[in-house]
Amino acid sequence: MSANSRFGVFAVTFAAVYAAAYYLVLINNWPLFSYGPATGEWTLFNRAASAGPTMYWYGWIATSAIVAAIAGLVACYLPGNLGRRLWSGLAWLVPLCSLAAIAHLLSGYFTH
Amino acid sequence: MWIALVITHGLLAFLLLGAITHQVVSVWAPVRAAAGNFVARFRAVGSANYVNAIIVLYCATAALGSVIYTNYRITARLTLEQGHYWKSYGAFELKEHFIAIGLALLPAYWWFWRQPLDAKEAVTRKLLTTLIAFVVWWAFLAGHVANNIRGLGT
Repeated sequence: MSANSRFGVFAVTFAAVYAAAYYLVLINNWPLFSYGPATGEWTLFNRAASAGPTMYWYGWIATSAIVAAIAGLVACYLPGNLGRRLWSGLAWLVPLCSLAAIAHLLSGYFTH
Repeated sequence: MWIALVITHGLLAFLLLGAITHQVVSVWAPVRAAAGNFVARFRAVGSANYVNAIIVLYCATAALGSVIYTNYRITARLTLEQGHYWKSYGAFELKEHFIAIGLALLPAYWWFWRQPLDAKEAVTRKLLTTLIAFVVWWAFLAGHVANNIRGLGT
């Protein structure tokens, strides 16, 4: 890639890994934490709230962001120029695929 | 309080929608000559000037939306379920995921729009901007429809 700084490598890796991780986290329900909006409860991982619905969205974002940040840091500190050879198009291609996969996953709502 | 937050969220989203639409139109159909009519002037904006505003507006709108989302989850979503508004329900479900993925694009978006612009990265810049514009438009319309079904303060 032409991004000739560590931040460029980090940003491209972060976007791509986050998008892929978010899809995996979503289909496997791996939130870092959960929230019960009716009770105000915050719990670690995917534990249901004691009453009312449980929200995992914040936890899915947190899990994906941590995975992507680690991958981004690893990529930008890779020895030699490995990280800098990354194709910048991954920053939009992987998220685009992730959006399409999620749309497919939820397509049942549109044929209900 | 929730109504004030929803209205503020909507206003921020409206500003974001305007900024990203200006930018995406100007990257796909830039004006080479002096802008004449309204459409040409719309296309002729300095795209790079919008970047920081778009990032700040995206983060502020998403942050406010994530607060309102707790209330949506125990009120409006039930209305959508009980009324069998499955398409609107699904559109809102997609909105939450699209917004979450859009957040992760912002560092790369900022990077590829930094000055001076790298001509070799024009395609990446254009497609990142388009993807963010798609997310913003989807989120705005899905939120607007859900809000219309539920109504304010009902």
